[in-house]
Amino acid sequence: MEKDIRQGRIWVLLDKNGKIIEDIDTDQIYHNAHLHITDIAEMGQFALGNLEGWTDFPKKCQGGDIIIAGRNFGAGSSRQQAVDCFIALKVNALLAPSFSAIYFRNAVNSGFPVLGVRDLESLIAGKKFVSGDVIRFDVKTGQAENLSRGIPLKIEPMSSVQYEIFKAGDLFKYGKTLT
Amino acid sequence: MGQTFSEKALGRKAGKRVRAGDVITVAPDYYLSHDNSSAIIGEFRKLGLKKVVAPEKIVIVLDHIVPAADEKYAQNHKTIREFVAEQGIPNFFDIDAGVCHQVFSEASFALPGSVIMGSDSHTTTYGAFGAFSAGIGRTEMASLWATDEIWLRVPETLRIEFSGRLSPGVYAKDVILKIIGDNGADRANYEAVEFVGPAARDFSLASRMVLANMAAEMGAKNGYFEADDKTLEWLRARAKADYEIVMSDPDATYEAVLKYDISTIEPQIACPHAVDNVKPVTAVDGKPFHQALIGTCTNGRFEDLAIAAKILKGKKIHPRVRALILPASREVYLEALKKGLIEIFVEARCVIVNPGCGPCLGAHEGILAPGEVVVSTSNRNFKGRMGGRDSEIYLASPATVAASALEGKITDPRKYL
Repeated sequence: MEKDIRQGRIWVLLDKNGKIIEDIDTDQIYHNAHLHITDIAEMGQFALGNLEGWTDFPKKCQGGDIIIAGRNFGAGSSRQQAVDCFIALKVNALLAPSFSAIYFRNAVNSGFPVLGVRDLESLIAGKKFVSGDVIRFDVKTGQAENLSRGIPLKIEPMSSVQYEIFKAGDLFKYGKTLT
Repeated sequence: MGQTFSEKALGRKAGKRVRAGDVITVAPDYYLSHDNSSAIIGEFRKLGLKKVVAPEKIVIVLDHIVPAADEKYAQNHKTIREFVAEQGIPNFFDIDAGVCHQVFSEASFALPGSVIMGSDSHTTTYGAFGAFSAGIGRTEMASLWATDEIWLRVPETLRIEFSGRLSPGVYAKDVILKIIGDNGADRANYEAVEFVGPAARDFSLASRMVLANMAAEMGAKNGYFEADDKTLEWLRARAKADYEIVMSDPDATYEAVLKYDISTIEPQIACPHAVDNVKPVTAVDGKPFHQALIGTCTNGRFEDLAIAAKILKGKKIHPRVRALILPASREVYLEALKKGLIEIFVEARCVIVNPGCGPCLGAHEGILAPGEVVVSTSNRNFKGRMGGRDSEIYLASPATVAASALEGKITDPRKYL
């Protein structure tokens, strides 16, 4: 399916020492000061607004870009704005070694592709993921490629329930396919 | 092969035998939401449905920004009250009740063996009563209102066995901080965490709530204690429905078993800006700070306030420090009032804040200015969570916070015993 293939420019969330940032929490992704906002379109401007070195992300990000982050992305609050802000920016997908449980569910239920990637540190050290590269991957098989460098890669494919919701669009649309 | 608590509790709801890793659909016993009910209502309306499927299962507690701090929050509360009336939702708790997890527990919606979903990440708290309870997002909550069904992946289980006895000046908060510090903020991602062993049974229900609450800070889907005599005693006067205690089989399969002799643990503190950046209090002894906070869904219960009052009695908060006390609920507040704790706090120059989440999530009632430092009994110290983006949050037990408030710098509470 065409929807299964995602392609885009990547942003690798590194700190000022060039290390991948781990445990990016929901206050760094979407600060509590903006929780009263209910219109998703308004949320994009605050994405990563409290993550050191990345507060200008909404200005740099273009629709279709892909974010690559360290382990335990989305730790903390159940706030769905931390997923919605990326949807508002039309971010294509988010890859990380692991996600916090509620963040992962929120993303799955929104039909927003979040996928696991193993050995991220060695991929970054081996210059297989460099900000600005264009990558392409298949959410169902996990087959991936760094198109800028011509390097084949492998990511974790979606689980079956995640894929079904993704294919339907979101949890509500998925629910309608069941009845 | 035996089953874990979570496999059994979810299997009962699914009507079949399930194993970790299975994806199942269940109808929970209750679903909890708070001020974010306003956003959930928005999602629910989008579905075009007139009525929620099971109004009796919905529990709404206003706690995050109570009383409303500005017009936007006031409008959110108004929207919720109107929806509650329109849908005939019987279990609605307005701004006078307290923090949702405390109120939900006091009203005894948290029953052993039951399955509870909440649109708050600390919904793990009800594991203290032997329930399966997990946090979800607002889309899922709207979907629950509309269908009374939710998909769940049955979690693997991390078992933590406690032995020994706590040393004086050491509390449940120190134990969970130690575990999180040792194992990392994502050690239990997607997993159930069972707190068991002789020392687990020694913990009061209030202390069990501290551990189950902060299981969320290890990434856990749910926390769990076996229901025992203490649980039954709590439920005797409160339970409004029948329940069945569910426990893991002796031959259940665990992802891992961790063993802790709690007698070796000393007072702990989580340093900025991560809950797993944990040190012994002695390592940061003498660090000056600006605000002390005792309360929240983690440590705002009567036993917490009693420990703080014991340390503060007859003394004054350091002049450089502002000290906030937030009883977790109206019930806790009233007990503290009747037993003279509130007088001790006011005499000591503390500010009593109404039951609710207060400044914990950075919305009102004690926000930090840039560069300020707070020592708090709450559960999260993410950068900027309580206000100014370069402010700092230290997390500790009520005893550590009270002792530190007296000295104006981070202090080992054992000298005040």
